Amino acid sequence: MDFDALLSCFGSASCVVTQATGGLISGMLLFLVAAGLSLIFGTLKVTNFMHGSLYMLGAYFAYTLYNLSGNYAIAVLGAALGVGAFALVFERLFMSRVYGSDVLLQLLVCYGFILILDDVVKIVWGAEFLAMGMPETFQHPPVMIAGGVLPVFYLFLIGITLVVAGALGFLITKTRIGKIVRAAAVNPTMTSALGINTALVFGGVFALGGMLAGLAGALAVPVRSLVSGMGFSILIESFIVTVIGGMGSVAGALVGALLIGLVRSFGTIGFPLFTDGLMFLFMTIVLIVRPSGLFGKDR
Amino acid sequence: MMRTSSITRDALVAAGALLILAVLPLAFPGKAFSDFVIRMSAFAVFATSLNLLVGYGGMVSFGHGLFYGLGAYSFALLMQKAGTSIPMAFLLTVLISAGVATVVGAICIRLKEIYFSFLTLAFQMLLYSLIIAWTPVTGGDQGLTGGVPRPEFLGIRLDDPHHLYLFCCAVLIASLFIMYHFVQSPFGYTLRMIRDNPRRAGFLGIQVWRVRLLAFVVAGIFGSIGGLLMSLFVSSAYPDFAYWTISGEGVFMILMGGIGVFLGPLAGAVVLLLLADIVTGLTEYFGLVLGIVILFFALGMRKGLLGFLFDFWKNRRAPAGNAIPGKH
Amino acid sequence: MLRIENLRKAFGGVNAMNGVSLDFAQGSLTAIIGPNGAGKTTFFNLITGAFRPDAGTIMLGDENIAGMSPPEIVRRGMGRAFQIASIYPTLTVRESILGAVNAHRGWHARLGRRFPLAGAKAQADEVMELVRLTSRADTVSGYLSHGDQKLLDIALALALEPRVLLLDEPTAGMGPEERWQMIETVHALWERKHMTLIFIEHDMDIVFKYAQTVRVLSYGTVLAQGTPDEVRRHPKVIEAYLGTHFEEKEQA
Repeated sequence: MDFDALLSCFGSASCVVTQATGGLISGMLLFLVAAGLSLIFGTLKVTNFMHGSLYMLGAYFAYTLYNLSGNYAIAVLGAALGVGAFALVFERLFMSRVYGSDVLLQLLVCYGFILILDDVVKIVWGAEFLAMGMPETFQHPPVMIAGGVLPVFYLFLIGITLVVAGALGFLITKTRIGKIVRAAAVNPTMTSALGINTALVFGGVFALGGMLAGLAGALAVPVRSLVSGMGFSILIESFIVTVIGGMGSVAGALVGALLIGLVRSFGTIGFPLFTDGLMFLFMTIVLIVRPSGLFGKDR
Repeated sequence: MMRTSSITRDALVAAGALLILAVLPLAFPGKAFSDFVIRMSAFAVFATSLNLLVGYGGMVSFGHGLFYGLGAYSFALLMQKAGTSIPMAFLLTVLISAGVATVVGAICIRLKEIYFSFLTLAFQMLLYSLIIAWTPVTGGDQGLTGGVPRPEFLGIRLDDPHHLYLFCCAVLIASLFIMYHFVQSPFGYTLRMIRDNPRRAGFLGIQVWRVRLLAFVVAGIFGSIGGLLMSLFVSSAYPDFAYWTISGEGVFMILMGGIGVFLGPLAGAVVLLLLADIVTGLTEYFGLVLGIVILFFALGMRKGLLGFLFDFWKNRRAPAGNAIPGKH
Repeated sequence: MLRIENLRKAFGGVNAMNGVSLDFAQGSLTAIIGPNGAGKTTFFNLITGAFRPDAGTIMLGDENIAGMSPPEIVRRGMGRAFQIASIYPTLTVRESILGAVNAHRGWHARLGRRFPLAGAKAQADEVMELVRLTSRADTVSGYLSHGDQKLLDIALALALEPRVLLLDEPTAGMGPEERWQMIETVHALWERKHMTLIFIEHDMDIVFKYAQTVRVLSYGTVLAQGTPDEVRRHPKVIEAYLGTHFEEKEQA
């Protein structure tokens, strides 16, 4: 535990800014993954335990697409859509068969896929760490705020995530599609009886959730390294985020993700060996005070 | 007429099984067989302990591997750094696990279903990151170096492979016997009642959380005994023992063998290890193969191997009726 | 035996219980009737601790049990059977009742012996006999017929040797023949055991034949109480039921 380092960082504006922005983008990436997870859970009542693998696929897809096209925008879009398509296929062919079953069975199906995908990634891309580096578009000098560093890419990332968050919120609450999704979540039999193709709805939601995770992976590539199995730690963090924010709540996922991102960022200074412990402690406290999460709907 | 279970009869069965295990090496001499049985016993004890929670208690823990890793590291560290005797290290490991299980359980049990599962997993990953970070003590991601000493006790020298084999078989049989006894005790039935209908259990005057906590602690103790056996075998302890994949494999073993059957996890452990040994001989991509096998079982044979056989046997004698989940 | 005073409970804006006061004498057999959704099951939920009352006292014997949890209340002698049978589908009838007896005796967490405990068998057999399920003792309860499941539900409550037994619509979902059998069984066990029995019922024929007193609960208030005859003539009760069943009986 290094309290001195932590306190001296709080005392220095540049340190605060640098750490805060670092925490912000961690939070943003985490939000995208957690929002997808929360969406899937809220609508389909199923925990997508392989959600982290979708993030990983997004990262690897983006890496390859960028190397092929040299254009980061194509890489991001392609990765998100590709992962979305994969998620749709996964849902239709595998997940939908275990919807009514024991959660253990659902866990097992996802676990099987995690193992398969981790090895497939090793086979196709190799087992070593990969790095893409900053795409040319973002190779500009960083913005300086109070002496702290804010890379241009960070601004882009934050901006895109907020746009996506806004669009998601709008989609769910204001549009007809959103209403259908919410109806199907509450009462699938009735919704189906009203002539709505619930299979399409479920597949669509899963695909959307997957796309969010894939998008996060693609956005993470310039600032994170890629390796097989990288999905798992972000899965655990997004579990923590959804638990803190409340399962099924997108707003909760945003708040939770930002909190966790910041805790992690400042935590690595004060508690370099035990940052995970800090996050988990935070989650425990939230759960003791509010067992359904900050925004959770009590199921 | 009710099936009567009897302690004496089960003790005789256990003794018989131990005897059979003890003489098998005569038929299958060589290290491969005895190593297999030792590894199997570690996994079987672990998976059976998880089944106490999942199958009999209805508490789906995603993080039972916490105890496997805890048991392995506690035992190894006690032997290596504190220089205790093996029986003492065994006892202390059990006590440490009981303590950790009480604390972790008390926190997790208050939560509903999926939150319980997540929190148990979080605790396991907490231990994992602790192991990785605390390099001076645990050896970090390389695992514990320096070996685990095996001093003689009561005339038993675990350096000798025959002694090690017999010891692990004895611990396996004893653990299964004790866990079976728990399942067949009033406590075990109450646990099942809570699994089936926790609300009604409350209306019978039962303090549900107490029963669940006790089950959690018992499961934790035996989970760590599994880890202890493994660390004894490899003479070390590795961070993998606390990684989430151990929990996943535990679930796989249970579902493979059949969730409602007491010896199901044992069968699942045998299958998993056979699979591991065969596949790692053929390819380095064990994960891929295991993943495919898991999907096959999860989507095809849902009740697991023994469950499938049980149903087949039952349906031979009577026309197929509606299935009641969980009852064999 | 059981005295409720000024019981109040609101859910959000809805006043489920509006200052209800009721008295149940020891050993009495009371029926609670009222329109559907009028709060009868809520009443049971409140006095058994499933919900916490906002105000009021619930005296069981000499003790105020308002605010206690179900396990605590059950251990003080209140047993309850549910509208939809709440049982343990994977256990047999005998195992379920033995389990309940164990819970009653505090043996449910014992680790030293095997189930079933010898001491519990006698009581379990008696309870099975009281609800006339002895012939199905070894049937897995998930396979029982609806009526038998309700009997098992009652048996589970009886295993606790309650001073007060609450039955929530014991004849719900049954055909006419089965109903009378059920209520006769209930009546017989009441005569043998002399506990204070309160049951919620919709079938007026049954109520008038068996109940000593009737309480009418409607939207959180007591509309009327008294002997079946008194209640049937009560203007408010007739009004609440829109006069259908009662007037027909009068004219018959």
